[in-house]
Amino acid sequence: MKEDDPTVLKAEYSPSDGWRLTKIESSPEELTRVDEAEEKFTQQELPACKPILTPGLVITTLISIGIIFVPIGLGSLSASEHVVEIVDRYDDACIPSNGDDEAAKRERLSFIQNAKTNKTCIRNLVVPKKMKHPIHVYYQLDNFYQNHRRYVKSRSDRQYRSPGSEGDTKTCAPESEVDDHRPIVPCGLIAWSLFNDTYGISTKDNPILINKKDIAWPSDKNSKFGSNVYPKNFQKQDPVGGGKLNESLPLSEQEDLLVWMRTAALPNFRKLYGRIETDLEADEKITVVIQNNYNTYSFDSKKQLVLSTTTWIGGKNDFLGKAYISVGGTCLFLAIAFILTYVIKPRPLGDPAYLSWNLNSATR
Amino acid sequence: MKRYIYINHDDLAQDLYCDNRISNRKYTLWNFLPKNLWEQFSRFMNQYFLLIACLQLWSLITPVNPASTWGPLIFIFAVSATKEAWDDYNRYLSDKKANEKEVWVVRQGVKKLIQSQDIHVGNIVWLRENDEVPCDLVLLGTADPQGICYVETAALDGETDLKTRVIPSASMGIDFELLHKIKGVIECPSPDKDIRRFDANLRLFPPFLDNDMCPLTIKNTLLQSCYLRNTEWACGVAVYTGNETKLGMSRGIAEPKLTAVDAMIDKLTGAIFVFQIVVVIVLGIAGNIWKNTEAKKQWYVEYPNESPWYELLIIPLRFELLCSIMIPISIKVSLDLVKSLYAKFIDWDDQMVDLETRIRSHATNTAISEDLGQVEYILTDKTGTLTENKMIFKRCCIRGTFYGNENGDALSDAELLNAVSTGSTDVIQFLKVMAICNTVVPIQSNTGVISYKAQSQDEEALVRAAASLHMVFVNKNGNVLEINFNGLLLRYEVLDILEFTSDRKRMSVVVKCCLSGKIYLLSKGADEAILPLARSGQQTRTFSEAVEQYAQLGLRTLCLASRELDDDEYREWSLMFKEANSKLVDREWRVAEVCQRLEHDFEILGVAAIEDRLQDGVPETISTLRKAGINFWMLTGDKQNTAIQIALSCNFVSPEPKGQLLLLSGKTEDEVCRSLERVLLTMRITNTEPKDVAFVVDGWALEIALKHYRKAFTELAILSRTAICCRVTPSQKAQLVELLKSCDYRTLAIGDGGNDVRMIQQADIGVGISGREGLQAARAADYSIGKFRFLTRLILVHGRYSYNRTAFLSQYSFYKSLLICFIQIFFSFISGVSGTSLFNSVSLMAYNVFYTSIPVLVSVLDKDLSENTVMQHPQILFYCQAGRLLNPSTFAGWFGRALFHAIVVFVITIHSFVFEKSEMEEVSMVALSGCIWLQAFVVALETNSFTILQHLAIWGNLVAFYAINLIVSAIPSSEMHTIMFRLCRQPLYWTTIILITMAGMGPVLALKYFRYTYRSSKINILQQAERLGGPILSLGNIESQSRSLEKDISPLSISQPKNRNPVYEPLLSDSPSATRRSIGPGTPFDFFQSQTRLSSTYMRNSKDN
Repeated sequence: MKEDDPTVLKAEYSPSDGWRLTKIESSPEELTRVDEAEEKFTQQELPACKPILTPGLVITTLISIGIIFVPIGLGSLSASEHVVEIVDRYDDACIPSNGDDEAAKRERLSFIQNAKTNKTCIRNLVVPKKMKHPIHVYYQLDNFYQNHRRYVKSRSDRQYRSPGSEGDTKTCAPESEVDDHRPIVPCGLIAWSLFNDTYGISTKDNPILINKKDIAWPSDKNSKFGSNVYPKNFQKQDPVGGGKLNESLPLSEQEDLLVWMRTAALPNFRKLYGRIETDLEADEKITVVIQNNYNTYSFDSKKQLVLSTTTWIGGKNDFLGKAYISVGGTCLFLAIAFILTYVIKPRPLGDPAYLSWNLNSATR
Repeated sequence: MKRYIYINHDDLAQDLYCDNRISNRKYTLWNFLPKNLWEQFSRFMNQYFLLIACLQLWSLITPVNPASTWGPLIFIFAVSATKEAWDDYNRYLSDKKANEKEVWVVRQGVKKLIQSQDIHVGNIVWLRENDEVPCDLVLLGTADPQGICYVETAALDGETDLKTRVIPSASMGIDFELLHKIKGVIECPSPDKDIRRFDANLRLFPPFLDNDMCPLTIKNTLLQSCYLRNTEWACGVAVYTGNETKLGMSRGIAEPKLTAVDAMIDKLTGAIFVFQIVVVIVLGIAGNIWKNTEAKKQWYVEYPNESPWYELLIIPLRFELLCSIMIPISIKVSLDLVKSLYAKFIDWDDQMVDLETRIRSHATNTAISEDLGQVEYILTDKTGTLTENKMIFKRCCIRGTFYGNENGDALSDAELLNAVSTGSTDVIQFLKVMAICNTVVPIQSNTGVISYKAQSQDEEALVRAAASLHMVFVNKNGNVLEINFNGLLLRYEVLDILEFTSDRKRMSVVVKCCLSGKIYLLSKGADEAILPLARSGQQTRTFSEAVEQYAQLGLRTLCLASRELDDDEYREWSLMFKEANSKLVDREWRVAEVCQRLEHDFEILGVAAIEDRLQDGVPETISTLRKAGINFWMLTGDKQNTAIQIALSCNFVSPEPKGQLLLLSGKTEDEVCRSLERVLLTMRITNTEPKDVAFVVDGWALEIALKHYRKAFTELAILSRTAICCRVTPSQKAQLVELLKSCDYRTLAIGDGGNDVRMIQQADIGVGISGREGLQAARAADYSIGKFRFLTRLILVHGRYSYNRTAFLSQYSFYKSLLICFIQIFFSFISGVSGTSLFNSVSLMAYNVFYTSIPVLVSVLDKDLSENTVMQHPQILFYCQAGRLLNPSTFAGWFGRALFHAIVVFVITIHSFVFEKSEMEEVSMVALSGCIWLQAFVVALETNSFTILQHLAIWGNLVAFYAINLIVSAIPSSEMHTIMFRLCRQPLYWTTIILITMAGMGPVLALKYFRYTYRSSKINILQQAERLGGPILSLGNIESQSRSLEKDISPLSISQPKNRNPVYEPLLSDSPSATRRSIGPGTPFDFFQSQTRLSSTYMRNSKDN
């Protein structure tokens, strides 16, 4: 139409004049590329690629997924295999009574809640394989809900960041201020329940240094927690939760706190305690001196000490490898199944005979 | 209720009735906000969102920032309120224009120019030629000495011919000056919408006339929106004003239309809401139990021992808020957006531009494009919609000589012109009948150009043709006709007019030649009504052959005949005729009988063939849409015969033996009831036969059927795929639409005149043709198109694409919301059922509003099949009509997919990021990335055609996701500071994401491939055929070979919804090239005649029209 006469009229409605025809001038010679593209868009005729699911395409895709995934799976499995890990559960061993009855439970609680008792506990571990440095020292808590809504929300990032926002504790309830309304710094349940077991590791002859520098995220140290915010009124009032803080150090240097405050999304989690910068030889015996301070006895929980090396996928985790192999395997299986169906029962694509309205007239 | 109107009483009872202010407005300035908000909140979805937004203000339970809900909510409301306000403002402006139009009104005995809105009931309004009537008037005086004036009522009933109106006998002969002072009282009924009835009385006060009551009928009225034509002036008294006029009363308030898709989405939303409530209750109970057993032991959570009374509600409410995203707030915005784009595509479409007038198609209502794809019934007007509303004399056969056969146009046939100039008596007599035997009014303009106004387009065509053959009908002066033949002025006095009725199928005039004093009977009519009455000895075979031949060409034929009458014979007959005409009982029938006494022994003069031009492509359009499973009903104000003619010529109904017409008629309840039963019975029997059965009903019988036998008529409506309703009023048209709608059918009404407006507004979709009858229909309609044939494209291309796209978009919106919501639910199981949100506020809001909306919005460019393929296989529309792409079962598929993907994302995330890596923000971001990747691939997999824009949106969105998150991660104060940088450096992150994507998409791909190849739908087959290239060519051939005339009786793999009558089979798969195989009058088609005697009484009784 446009070739005959480039002018197009458009009917427009305006309330004052009713319908009116407007001339739209356009000349084919003047069409720029933009106009052409616009024309194609308005006529819904943009060039399009229209792939369809041919057997070739689908089977190729599935096979290539399989071929790529299986090796990746094997790779990550072997990486996971190379990780050397020592896991030692100590919460039940470092407590005087181990019964299941109520009395034992009460006894355990009174033991752990009494600040005066000697909670030192000694564990002997054997290194199963040579562990190259850096060896990460973690504590692991099971069935500890750092992701509980009441818990995870009970913090005030503004207070932690700058000393001026000290009173910004609205969100920290129920650990926001002491009785005379002075704010707690750092406020909130998370800080209040700071984990406070300590570990000292030594071999037969000499102690192994656990490096506790740089265990927290650099971003937390640099920006999230202020270097001029000092703990105040912290754990000064009953109930006392977890660990105490050194009031002479700013929050940004309390790295244990920073690690703890990175809440875990899962109820079983590990947090970095420190790093060992020396290698441990296979079959080497190490002794761990634990101050078992943290109360996990009031609920059904576990405390474990973990020493672990790392690889490119992180710590020991077979899941990824297995998942890759099974997904890859499934894809290969499906590909083979489709090839077989294709060979046994081929079905031409786009056969008009399958259209019901043709089907009927054809048989007539 | 009656109203008494005192004419010209300036101070009496004026306040009783409203003034003439027309108002179509919905709001005023003051009630806009409350009313609009009330309307918006009457929608369930909006109530829901408001509730959620309010709950979020309670910080104890809100998982995220309340702004994430309030922002979009306020935005949505503002947008729709602005739109409403704008529309209402436009209505206000057009009302204002009408209201401020100036008219002459008598005030204190003097004519004054006042604004139309100030007219009061009882005022005398003066109109001049071509003025629009401002309100309903009772005529009091005209310029014509006989008290006649002409009005054009097109705006009211869509009939373009001029109608005569007469002044009541009481005011006959009142002097022009005295009309200013006339006083009197009119007793008339309260306003109603019946434009064919006005039963009132007029009594003029002294000194004007005696105290006699003068009855008034509709003949004495000038109704609002008509135009005064061909009359110098007229005056009348206002009886109904403002919104109480006949037009105003019949102007229904256009209700906002809701598409079937919208209804389905609402239904699905309801289902999701129920599901959500169940989830909330279950999780709420579980949460409270967990809290009481476990959380109390966990000292670090420090649950207080005493709790407020609402403690038990807190956890369920938290879950309610957490799950509130299950119903995506973005769906409304997205749908509004894409819907306006669908409308734009219609506006832009170059293939729907009327080449003659260069008017583009226009979608006024931008919200209902999907319904176009789901149309099941099309109700169409006839005149101006199917036809061009132009009748042209094409051929004739005079005394066995065929004219116009060579070149197809008798008017330029040299032979005929020659015959005229040589003065062949046969030809001249033929032309005389053409020029005289009619009720046409010639109108001579100042420049001397004569134009004709006729009730019947056929007559106009004949008169015009005669004029161009030098037999010019010049003037009608009372009963004297003047004809100018080659400069010779012939005068005839019309003695009697034997009017046309559909039963007689002929009309005659008795004229006296003023020159010779001879009396002639001139007749014209259908062949079967004329030829048998030929004088004995005249051979009629050539005429029958001519009729047959013309009918084959799709021309309307009229036989012309004449007879010279004796004076005595006429005088005798004339008395009988007068007597019959004054009968009160059975008048029609008696008149017909009397007429028959005169109409015999005809001298057959010849056959004239008239082309009632169908619009281009009408038969093709109808047959294509038929194939697409759409049923057609024709609703016309026209006569039965004309309607059937047109129906035959445009493939609407098929001629015998393929088609059968069942006549539903009757004057009384009983007759209609019996007729209805018979038709139903036949319909039930023939429904199993491969026969094209249609029923024909007229307005009167329809009225009775709708009133008393609604149930039976509804059954008939469901059984019948085709119907012709003639002589129906605008409100009956609307009633029929209503009837079909009540049976849960999607209806589309198409028309071009003011009489179609109500039907157009009533139907699910109203389409107006911006044609010769003005733009009323086009303005009231949801879509206006230039030509009937654009309907194919509107439905098959725009409607179908819109439906497909919306089906995908809406379900996808639910899918992505469910996906993220399921992850939240799963997460609550490992977070002590406490209602923790895994995702932070920013991510949640951006996920719904941004990351997942943009890729899916480009699905408005998706085309599953090319336009050509759809046009070749209109049957594919079935998928849309039956709602195959959006229904509970397809939705269940998406629900399952969301569940599956949520499991994949959640399980893989929490098993990959374990122990020391289980930091909350990181885990949340991994899960979110997993969702984003999956949804990108889901959109890609469901896209049928990728244009550059789709690639940009889908893959660009992925890139944008990372860009945005990297930027946010760079802001120190944000919760996710440095998270994205940390993740992107970890190989674990990428391997996890790839795993999630492939584990999520692999099975979906495999399943889709399997169904695509081994359980393929018709759409899939056509896709394959179209895209693999090869078979599509043969496909076309098969299609053309396989034009089966019979019904698809096979067990279709496609099952019918709701057990309806087959809407799907290509019943009328006539070749589109075989057009206009029409049948002239008299070609046998089978009226239902089994009980001949009975039906002949009906016929007799149905003469009244």
